[in-house]
Amino acid sequence: MSPILPPGFVGLKNYAAVVTSSYFLGAVQNTLVFTVVSVPIIVVLGIASASILNQRFLGDIVLKPIVLLPWTIPAAISGVIWKGMFSDSWGAINAVLYSLHLIPKYIPWLNKPNLAMFAVIVAQVWTQLPFAIVLTLAAMQAIPQVLYESAAIDGASAWGRFRHITLPNIRAMLVIVILYETLMGLTTFDLTYSLTGGGPGTSTTLISYFTWAESFKMLSFGRGAALAIVIALTSLIFILGILQAMPKDALLGEGQE
Amino acid sequence: MIHGRRHRVLVYAGAFLLLLFSVVPVLWIGFSSILPENAILSFPPDWLSYGLTLDNYNYIFTGEIPTSHEVTGQMRTMISQEVRRVPRTVFNSAVIAFGVMLINLIAGSLAAYPYARLQFPGRAITFFYITLSRLVPPVALAIPYYIIVQRLGLLDTYWSLILIYSVLTLPFTILILTLYFRGIPKEVEEAAQLDGCNVYQLLYRIVIPLALPSLIGTGLFAFMLSYSEFLFGLLITQSIKTRTLPVLLGSVAWNPDVTWGLLSASIFIGIIPTLLLIVPVWRYMVQGLTSGAFQ
Repeated sequence: MSPILPPGFVGLKNYAAVVTSSYFLGAVQNTLVFTVVSVPIIVVLGIASASILNQRFLGDIVLKPIVLLPWTIPAAISGVIWKGMFSDSWGAINAVLYSLHLIPKYIPWLNKPNLAMFAVIVAQVWTQLPFAIVLTLAAMQAIPQVLYESAAIDGASAWGRFRHITLPNIRAMLVIVILYETLMGLTTFDLTYSLTGGGPGTSTTLISYFTWAESFKMLSFGRGAALAIVIALTSLIFILGILQAMPKDALLGEGQE
Repeated sequence: MIHGRRHRVLVYAGAFLLLLFSVVPVLWIGFSSILPENAILSFPPDWLSYGLTLDNYNYIFTGEIPTSHEVTGQMRTMISQEVRRVPRTVFNSAVIAFGVMLINLIAGSLAAYPYARLQFPGRAITFFYITLSRLVPPVALAIPYYIIVQRLGLLDTYWSLILIYSVLTLPFTILILTLYFRGIPKEVEEAAQLDGCNVYQLLYRIVIPLALPSLIGTGLFAFMLSYSEFLFGLLITQSIKTRTLPVLLGSVAWNPDVTWGLLSASIFIGIIPTLLLIVPVWRYMVQGLTSGAFQ
């Protein structure tokens, strides 16, 4: 769909060109690292945070809305916020670590490939955690209190109650959270756009950013569309997984009276 | 539940860490927006000895150059007009998000009611198609949407973004409203029908007033998602006439002439609407979710 070139059918040429390019393979690798590291952190922190918010404590009513804060901020803006947090010459993280004498000199977070990936992952966890907390908390609050009471009478420890009551009861929701967050990880765009711009070099170029750059920076709509199809098919796997994980009649309530 | 003392300590420690993680980046943005440039750039870091200033906000709203830019020895003599556009983009984003919210409320409730109450051919398949379509990655839709909008001659208009964001938010609205409508006792509606309500009166006189909290919740949700959206905003908006806040800030962040103070002030102005919405969103959206909609 180039506005300049005459139209013509190219078969699978666009796919071949895209899939064999080393940039594409690099983007795939970055996306996998990014997703495989960030999703478990989000899920574990989500469970831990939801377990805390599921208790009664002084200030719990205030903390609950506050944990939504990162989610309410547009991801592109979160990227800018973390760009400032991680800035190599005046960022808050460097300033605080230095003032506490934890680092001898400022760390160039966003200028080293591995550190930049670390920064992107931290920012991703920050933006995605609220969603994981809300869903996990929803599942926890649906567990009948009676189960915990009888377990307490049987002398189960806190860990025992978590392992044998909480975990089995939130398992279905956790599957949904994991699949959803994987999908989010595989398709992250806004955050890296403003946080690293895919750099340094191409070290944090994720596949969505790559697709966007291919389509709208290189103006190669054919290759961009081929990439889009690849992404859509990959995510279809996760969408079907989410569908499978949902309780059968949870959404539509089949068999209504 | 039975709690040991150690358990209590753990809960409070965890809650405190969660609080820090959630708010510190935003607090720092707020704080650095009122710090003079010298304080931010000081090394070793010393944020407190230079006083506070509203210069950055003043520049964004009135165009008055911050004093730190006139002080010599600061190296930065350049400053970008770009941040002065922040208020306009907040306005653009809010108008678009408000339009999306209205469409969601009207079209969403009209679609959700039949899914909740009526049996018709294709009910299940269309419902799953609608709700799951939202999971298709936006970047996969970018080229087709761009071409459609371009052919319709709608590039750089509010309408194009309102329509696109409606497509992106309606699935979720329909899902939540369907769940909610289903939870309304049938007896209430049957009584109304006996009194001679037709199906539209039923919807507007009985169901919608009863479902008001979930309508507010989904409306806010649609507003927030539209206010935050970035990719399509980047593609469709071409001038300040329609440019949205995330798009502007995403580009300002790469402008070497913009100081961090100006950038953080811009961010803070931009996120005020979302900060104001946190409590209502919790109250109408999340609380409903965490108190049994999924049971």
